[in-house]
Amino acid sequence: MTFTGAIGALCMFPLRQIIRVCVALRIHPNALTFIGVLINVVAAYFLATGRFITAGFIMVVANIFDFIDGKVATELGAVSKFGGFWDSVIDRFSDLALFIGLIYLYAERGRPDYVMVAAVASTFALMTSYTRARAESLIPKCKVGFMERPERIVLFMIGAFTNRMAAVLWVILVLSIFTVADRIIHTWRELRRAEREASA
Amino acid sequence: MSTKGALTLPARVLWHAFFWTYERATWQYDLMVIAILAFVWLTPPAWLGDPTASGQPGLLQLMLRLFG
Repeated sequence: MTFTGAIGALCMFPLRQIIRVCVALRIHPNALTFIGVLINVVAAYFLATGRFITAGFIMVVANIFDFIDGKVATELGAVSKFGGFWDSVIDRFSDLALFIGLIYLYAERGRPDYVMVAAVASTFALMTSYTRARAESLIPKCKVGFMERPERIVLFMIGAFTNRMAAVLWVILVLSIFTVADRIIHTWRELRRAEREASA
Repeated sequence: MSTKGALTLPARVLWHAFFWTYERATWQYDLMVIAILAFVWLTPPAWLGDPTASGQPGLLQLMLRLFG
């Protein structure tokens, strides 16, 4: 087993118990998704006020909700197209809330350079999701590029708990740019291949 | 020769790191995570002009102080 696989397996143990409780209480998965974004907004407030450790703990709680909603939907037999759509839309709000918290913090501290880093990183974080969603309306799958939402969230937590948010923002920025580029190139190649096959 | 074939090993590693196609929980993913954590924790915050941690030493500086 790989190092990251072992960490994932370790985290799954408490998550399974939480999923079981939510299923027993028959909490609707869409409600879990919505609670997740509300808690993320609270985390963003603590980021904006520079209280990173508190923000980190709140992000952990928020992302438990974020993570389990899909699993609870499956176990309750409540999987729906709208649920998938709702989850994607709410995830974007959660992402943006955290970035806006940081933008406020850096603006308040008179650091326009990091306001720009956070703003551009948030743009590419959004574009990462958009490029995949749009690509998958044209080709069957576009799951390339490293910096997806789980990676971003874990990086935010690491940045908050260890007070290394600037380094984390640079990593998110650079790898999100490459992820977007990767998805554009992949889609272009797949469409070109499909066109060639159709004309052959 | 293909574009990829013309690349040397370090360039190929960078190519695969940036034009990522691997799944999570693979050894390539582990390596990428280690590289990212090394950058985040070892880089002295002052080098990046970190607005919230500039006064603090990076892990690398701490290790140099302890063992240097």
